Amino acid sequence: MRRKVAVCAVAQIKNEPDIWYQRFQGMLFDCFESIVEQTGVTFDMEKGIRNVVTCSDDVFDARTISDSGMTDVVGAHYRGEEKTAQDGINALGYAMAAILSGHDDLILIMGHCKESQSESRQMCTNLAFDPFFCRPLGLDFLNASAFQARAYMEKSGVTDDHLARIVVRSRENGAKNPYARKNELLTKEAVLNSPMLSDPIRELHQYPVTDWAIGMLLSCEERAREFTDNPIYITGFGNCMDSYFLGDRDLTSNFALKKAAGRAFRMAGVKDAKDAFDIVELNDACAYQLPMWAEGVGLAEEGGGAWIDGNGMEKHNVNLSGGMLNGNPIMLGGLARTVEAFLQLRGEAGERQVDGVRKALAHGTTGPAGQHHGVIILEK
Amino acid sequence: MSTAREDCFTMEGKLALPYQYFAGLTGSRFLISLRDQKKIKGLKCNKCNKIFVPPRSTCEICFEEISGNWVDLKNSGTVTGFTIIRYEEPHQPVKPPYILALIKLDGADTPLTHIVKGVPLSKMKVGMKVKAMFAKKSTSSIMDIDHFRPVEGKPKFEMGYTYDELEVGMSASFSKTISESDVYLFAGISGDFNPMHLNEEFAKMTPFGTRIAHGALPQSLIAPVLGMKLPGLGTVALEIMARFKAPTYFGDTITATGEVVEKLEKKRWVRMALTWTNQKDELVAEGSALVIPPMPLPQQAE
Repeated sequence: MRRKVAVCAVAQIKNEPDIWYQRFQGMLFDCFESIVEQTGVTFDMEKGIRNVVTCSDDVFDARTISDSGMTDVVGAHYRGEEKTAQDGINALGYAMAAILSGHDDLILIMGHCKESQSESRQMCTNLAFDPFFCRPLGLDFLNASAFQARAYMEKSGVTDDHLARIVVRSRENGAKNPYARKNELLTKEAVLNSPMLSDPIRELHQYPVTDWAIGMLLSCEERAREFTDNPIYITGFGNCMDSYFLGDRDLTSNFALKKAAGRAFRMAGVKDAKDAFDIVELNDACAYQLPMWAEGVGLAEEGGGAWIDGNGMEKHNVNLSGGMLNGNPIMLGGLARTVEAFLQLRGEAGERQVDGVRKALAHGTTGPAGQHHGVIILEK
Repeated sequence: MSTAREDCFTMEGKLALPYQYFAGLTGSRFLISLRDQKKIKGLKCNKCNKIFVPPRSTCEICFEEISGNWVDLKNSGTVTGFTIIRYEEPHQPVKPPYILALIKLDGADTPLTHIVKGVPLSKMKVGMKVKAMFAKKSTSSIMDIDHFRPVEGKPKFEMGYTYDELEVGMSASFSKTISESDVYLFAGISGDFNPMHLNEEFAKMTPFGTRIAHGALPQSLIAPVLGMKLPGLGTVALEIMARFKAPTYFGDTITATGEVVEKLEKKRWVRMALTWTNQKDELVAEGSALVIPPMPLPQQAE
């Protein structure tokens, strides 16, 4: 039998539009203390944490080597500390590999992002493009998504009305999640009338500016019960990067997501996504992405529009957390999705709890128009 | 400790680092050709039979080295996707709203992202043909292409009716008032200085009692009908016959009319009945013409 990796504990602060009262170090430290308190884990060189994987971004922190600003508050002094950028779901994949390879048996994951501190998210993501061919044109993650949204909506039968329903539902679900960003509940009309940012993406189709921090303790299966009575296991992981230039890609093909999901499914022995998962969390930075990613992981073979009309979002328990659309910072979307999966599997999801959750899918994506995708499968 | 907002001090910061990004040898070649020759070049993978732009030295599909396989692309292309940017931010090259589009250049397989101008926002469409407009001043970047704009949808020349478009019964005409100076000019053109056209005293002695226009002058008014109206531009006239019925006096307004009377299927020629009338509806001349209508031309948009 394949070895498994356990998620022993999760600690988070509340997603907020602007955590003006705390530096990111403080946000992380709150999570760090909670992990220690929940699990009793130590930093003993024999039995404790010897490796920390962090997730942060130089541009969003406006400093080079963004992890150097927090080595001490994540307990990484004299220890391994490795940083991942892009989506935090890769931190999970990386930690999983470190444990499965026998390199280590305990990994602490710490991620943060304060989107509120930069003048504009779009200016930050503009820097993700090369300085020769793309950056000078003003490309950023928002307008790159818009190219994809137009092409996808044309192909899938997803309409402006569907998008409005997705946003309204996200806000309703988010309101049931005590750690979700507190947003106004919306009517469909409000979404349909919100101004166009980059056609066909409206202001309310995009996730709001958010600050957040997250910690997770992962261990090998054998040691999980030292830290929790209720470990959740990672049974599958896969990721994939699509081409860089938007013109090189078929923007509606879900190429990278299908590959990522396929790899995770093979590892976890999942045959058909449609009946494999009790809950699914998809990283929807923009409303059109919810049905598109649902197609990509194999939940909506009939096409996104028909899937929404057929009540697919409820049937598959998709994004009960509110999703990225309700507000998580960039890079941490995949970790936020994993947190919801973890809580649902543990039966700790409060008002959102689905009965008898045994298997969950969490997804993370980053890069312009879903260039990179990661899929993780968690089980009780 | 207080956590009132006014006690939370924030430093204004701005990361700015003057820097020179090396475009790489392949990128340099592309940018230099853009700058010096206003030529957009692509790189071809012979194995995948795919032409890439922006350039890269290796085919990402098969990992073949392709950095030597430059091909010239057209400065025109087709829009495969677009968005209208309406939010305004400092990193944008032009003031919103502006159109950013994926443009598949003629000769390339991978669309290039660039700005489209010169089209109303509501008229922007996937499938639009656009052409590159080069910047007046080079910045040695992709912005040496300032933007793309729609290729004139209207062809440069409105060609006439083809054989298949012509139907028996279609007609067209052209009118003109014949003046003394027309007759003088025509005398000069033809060399026909016959005093019956130019000398009133002489003309008084003729059966017409006054000067009349050269017969070929009203006859020539059928040329604009055949060549510019029906069938129109592109027509070749094979034969024009005219029988004169009445004189044309100075000041007469002559209407030349052509009507399609027969389509000669075998040759794909058209026979037309011709009439020339004056302002009193008198028949000045009648005749016929045999013409080759214009051939359908290949797309001649610029």
